[in-house]
Amino acid sequence: MSKNKTPTRPYLGFGLGLRTDHYDAVIKQKPDVDWFEIISENYMVPGGKPLYYLDKIRQDYPMVMHGVSMSLGSSDPLNQAYLKDLKALIKRVEPQWVSDHLCWGGVHGKNLHDLLPLPYNEDTIAYVADRINQVQDTLGRQILIENVSSYVSYTASTMSEWEFLATLTERADCLILLDINNIYVSAFNHEFDALEYLNAIPIERVQQFHLAGHQNNGHYIVDTHDHPVIDPVWELYAHAVRRFGAVSTMIERDDNIPPLEALLTELDHARSIAKPILEESVA
Amino acid sequence: MTALEQLQTDFQNFLLTLGDSMDEHVVGTTKFGTQERLAVYADAYRLRLLEALEDNYPALHTLLGDEEFDRLGRRYIDAHPSSHPSIRWFGHKMHELLREETPYRSQPVLSEMALFEWTLRGAFDAADESVCAIDDITGVTPQAWPKMRLQFHPSVTRLNLVWNVPALWKKIDQDKAPDKPKAEEYPASWVIWRQELQQFYRSVATDEGWALDAMIDGQNFGDICGGLCEWIDEQNVAVRAAGFLKQWINDGMVTSINV
Repeated sequence: MSKNKTPTRPYLGFGLGLRTDHYDAVIKQKPDVDWFEIISENYMVPGGKPLYYLDKIRQDYPMVMHGVSMSLGSSDPLNQAYLKDLKALIKRVEPQWVSDHLCWGGVHGKNLHDLLPLPYNEDTIAYVADRINQVQDTLGRQILIENVSSYVSYTASTMSEWEFLATLTERADCLILLDINNIYVSAFNHEFDALEYLNAIPIERVQQFHLAGHQNNGHYIVDTHDHPVIDPVWELYAHAVRRFGAVSTMIERDDNIPPLEALLTELDHARSIAKPILEESVA
Repeated sequence: MTALEQLQTDFQNFLLTLGDSMDEHVVGTTKFGTQERLAVYADAYRLRLLEALEDNYPALHTLLGDEEFDRLGRRYIDAHPSSHPSIRWFGHKMHELLREETPYRSQPVLSEMALFEWTLRGAFDAADESVCAIDDITGVTPQAWPKMRLQFHPSVTRLNLVWNVPALWKKIDQDKAPDKPKAEEYPASWVIWRQELQQFYRSVATDEGWALDAMIDGQNFGDICGGLCEWIDEQNVAVRAAGFLKQWINDGMVTSINV
């Protein structure tokens, strides 16, 4: 891609998801991580260790906030108490940006604690765009929405996931956290072309990448975030860097968490893939 | 009901009851059929919540063993679906289920362990407040003592436990085999709190437990001295009560002294 195609976006470099297992190592070693992403809900607590470590690590690193419970696509009303708590945490952390998922997590007051896919159609776009606008008004900032991994396709869907995501983000004027692994997982499970997905996403909307591992069960893949990133996802990442340019990239490990050094090595691999592509693009 | 709400209601009902409410809504492929696709969500839903219960109740898990804890967890998940945005709060009614329902209610140590562990969990991330030093009370004039009230750290919680739950919990926490559950003749008084980042618990004498409850409830030092006469001779009451106050302050439980 040429230099003038690169949109002006904040760029943080290469980050990791902050996990409790690594608190002490991060504080003592101050590792070569450009930024950390926190799971917002883990710090929406009254006090104690979570907020202590959050504040301490925030002193040394830029942070972004990533939520799992906004339930943007739920037919329940937006949870105003949740948004209020989120706003308070934003004030405390002063993150570079805030993201959540393009999904729903429960209805009728229940929370299923999952990132459930939406039907991809015009009605959903209109409904979710309005809710994203409400959230952006409440928080006083643009948010990023992340594509989720999925295992079902609905009869109610009338368009592809990438058309849905691209149209919705234009309509809501929000940004995208593009999870490269989730595209790979969903492409495998739904038998679509991951490159077609990537190539349909508007370049100027993408502000962050997620990379993660998963569990391959042979004829389907579950997005477990408990393994290293696999080679085909790295290849997809390289394609994404070529298309989108310099986008803040992080590795998201949620289970079977290895020592910090292992994730730093994996992050260096991401750097080694992105750097030559970005240097070439500006040459 | 909109089409979206209907779809989501049906999906949620499927996850909660494992019925056939989603069959009409989804399409599969030859290699990955609809039932198997839906099963990924159904399995993940329960496994995620079971994991949350394991995190919140490690000692209860040990007491019950894997199989029985799994059975209890699935029963809890069915009885008390989550309604909180954060999974951290999932499991708050575990001690009630264990106390009220068969077969668990015949083993009351289980309910008490759940209550103890949930209280420790609450102390872990209770609100931060700075605590008083012992010098803060030495400045109070003798005339002001009777009307003196204390504010306690948000983590401070009193429990009365019949079973030797704290001893069992300690052994399990140290990866040692727990002793046999044992009931006391009378409930023992305990207090749980957090000092800086560390949770603490200790047993308290019956009169100290009563005094702590009363002061948390907003009674003043004079009221406490009056009440303690049930256990102590009147001439020794003030010294005993003042000793409690100093202990609570040294333990880091007191956030303000109001005169």
